[in-house]
Amino acid sequence: MPDAPALLSTTSIAKSYGPVVALRSVDFTVRPGETHALLGANGAGKSTLVKILAGVQSADSGQVFVNGQPVDFPAPLDAMTAGIATVFQDPALIPHLTVSENLRLSSIAPAKFVEWLGWFDLADLDLNALVQELPLDTLRMVDLARAVARDPQVLLLDEITAALTADQAERVFALLAYWKGLGRSAVLITHRLAEVMRVCDRATILRDGRNVALIETASVNERQLVEAMLGAPVKPVAQESRETGNAGQGQNALEARGLTSRHLVQDVSFAVKSGEILGVVALEGQGQERLFELLSGERQPSAGEILVGGKSRHFRSPYDAVRDGVVLVPGDRLLALLPSLPVRENLAVPIFNHIRRWLGIPQDEPQRVAKAIDRLSIDTRAASQVRRLSGGNQQKVVIGRWLVAGFRTLLCFDPTRGIDIQTKREIYALLRELAANGAAILLYTSELAEIPLVCDRVIVIHAGRVVDEQAAATATESSLLTAAHGLEVAV
Amino acid sequence: MSTLLNGRTTQWQRLLARNSWVLGVWLLLGALIVWYSTLIPVFGQFQIVSISKNSLPLIYLAIGQAIIVIAGGIDLSLGSLLLLGNVLAARFMDEQSLGVVFLVAVGVIVGLALLNGLTGYVISISGVPDIVVTLATSYIWSGLALWILPSPGGGTAPEMRWLFTGSPSGIGGGYGLPILMIVVPSLLVYFVSRHTRTGLSLYAIGSHPVAARLAGLNVRQAKIVSYAIGGAMAGLAGLATVAITGTGDPRFSVGATATLNSVAAIVLGGVALTGGEGSVLGVVATAVTLIMLNPILTAMGIDSNSAQVIQGVLIAGVMMFGGLAILLRERRS
Repeated sequence: MPDAPALLSTTSIAKSYGPVVALRSVDFTVRPGETHALLGANGAGKSTLVKILAGVQSADSGQVFVNGQPVDFPAPLDAMTAGIATVFQDPALIPHLTVSENLRLSSIAPAKFVEWLGWFDLADLDLNALVQELPLDTLRMVDLARAVARDPQVLLLDEITAALTADQAERVFALLAYWKGLGRSAVLITHRLAEVMRVCDRATILRDGRNVALIETASVNERQLVEAMLGAPVKPVAQESRETGNAGQGQNALEARGLTSRHLVQDVSFAVKSGEILGVVALEGQGQERLFELLSGERQPSAGEILVGGKSRHFRSPYDAVRDGVVLVPGDRLLALLPSLPVRENLAVPIFNHIRRWLGIPQDEPQRVAKAIDRLSIDTRAASQVRRLSGGNQQKVVIGRWLVAGFRTLLCFDPTRGIDIQTKREIYALLRELAANGAAILLYTSELAEIPLVCDRVIVIHAGRVVDEQAAATATESSLLTAAHGLEVAV
Repeated sequence: MSTLLNGRTTQWQRLLARNSWVLGVWLLLGALIVWYSTLIPVFGQFQIVSISKNSLPLIYLAIGQAIIVIAGGIDLSLGSLLLLGNVLAARFMDEQSLGVVFLVAVGVIVGLALLNGLTGYVISISGVPDIVVTLATSYIWSGLALWILPSPGGGTAPEMRWLFTGSPSGIGGGYGLPILMIVVPSLLVYFVSRHTRTGLSLYAIGSHPVAARLAGLNVRQAKIVSYAIGGAMAGLAGLATVAITGTGDPRFSVGATATLNSVAAIVLGGVALTGGEGSVLGVVATAVTLIMLNPILTAMGIDSNSAQVIQGVLIAGVMMFGGLAILLRERRS
């Protein structure tokens, strides 16, 4: 690598959230005047690195340098002062204030800001409009124009094109090209590899909290980028003994037909049979959250229908879904739990539905709960308050409550995120066992290695649509990741 | 030209739409005053002075509460700070020269601002909810007030009384000064809150603290500023109280009632308890409205003990009306 002086660099950055290691050791360098891509699969540590560079969080160890000088960012303002302007996935604008008031807060001259807005054809944007009245794509561009108007040395753009139309994304790229022409640097965090190939000079690839490759984009193609993100061919994980005997033999337990919700979920159709585990693979922000919200009754689809056991159902709330036996294990465990209550009561919550209004708790409640604790081997040493349990044990409680209450279809949203390997195995085994007993399971996971281990079939979602379906046994991380990027899978 | 005119009309329409609640509560107050003037045989200078001067403490306190709530907090200690300001003034202004009286007045405002700023600091570093910390400090300040002035007493200079009531004796006088004392501090705080960077940062941290921090604001500093403004306004309210009554009164119930009334006034005035929304201008009208209930009920021949029931019904009624208006607007769009 030629010895261009680094504008922004990090050495051995590490960061953990409790027991979860997000970054192990990252060395990352941005040269003056380059557009640099930061790539990696879900959970590789991209977001954490951005947060550290933007001063939102501090690293546990390691050092950030700007122009060769060691810097420390206790707050986002300090990173801005050092010449790093960040555009986050959620626009950092105050909803109850007008655009011009937001500019005022950031001490940015409106004239300069409006000039940059011109790049997005928004020069006539009404600056007296309240931020909460503006659509999300406009806000993202407002946020970007504000960041550029700060006149930073480095722009950090976290998934800037995610909520934008193709036309708007083009305008962003035009701005980036101009920015580069000014001799300024930008860092792009994105899942869209085509963008990387077009706009970026170099790409740093993160995997499992480390920087594993630095690639000149001119010398590779998209497929090679995907391979670099995966690293060495993954060693085949020992297949758990799994009975595929009755998989795919049962009836359709849950079926989606043409499900649509705004632009997030578009015309999604699939079916899960009883006894089957259907995997869902998607990169971040491809509409999988909304899909699970639709299936669990949290939101209503704008078009399409949900069929349970072959009958069309209309879920007005999760209560309706639960009564039809469709239950959710959400991505955020603490959202599902009552953190200050003991394990026993958390497990028993869904039974409250069965309590006949004024007659007391069913007689067999203690036995059912005890059975669930036993079956899940929940560590009950800290059972008096669920929030004191480890993440893995909390997740078991969330699944366990549906064992207590009974269900037919289980929707699992990334159930093993941030969970240790031992508990993960237990959860896989539990899911297989449930399926063997006739449950239908829809499993979204951000860990692609789980798919061949646990699932029977897998569907891949990209930009709100089902773009691929594969047999889980033959699916590889490479084939899944390629499809998830919206690319054709080589046969 | 026509587009310019068009632009201007929509600007006006928008201004109206955004401030409809403030406009509504001022119209309500206007209607109430007109109605009151028909209830009593004579409505003149005396009534105007009486309503405006008696409203002063609650107006100041409600403005302070509004600023704190807009910045995402809530302060249950404002009434106790009013007590503290009241007894400090009554104790140390009594029979003193004008210079000393002036210094004590400035000292009360600045001192309470610092004291409550400290409360804001404690809240922001401890992470204990605002409502808990200020509940605790409300007892502390009330206790201090009793310690400074164990029983009602003390006094102040005629000039102080004149400043807030328009009369050196606190009786009679013109309405010019009391109204000026409503208008000047209200407009000052309004201007600071809507047109300075500091003021906007209060709205920002109340509206979306995460975005505010990511946008480079100092969230802790803004929080402290909001509590300091609240403390200063409570100090001003304490001074107004000593000017109106002529004495200091350390009773806990006075402070507790004042705190609750300040919350009632801001809720009625359109300040969202969730933070980031509302204007101090609406709060001024609702504070006067709450104070006017008593004379109106007296004029109607209703037992003044029923005032609280009426006040409660009014709050529930106005808020339900507001909720209905929002619901209808959402239906339409």
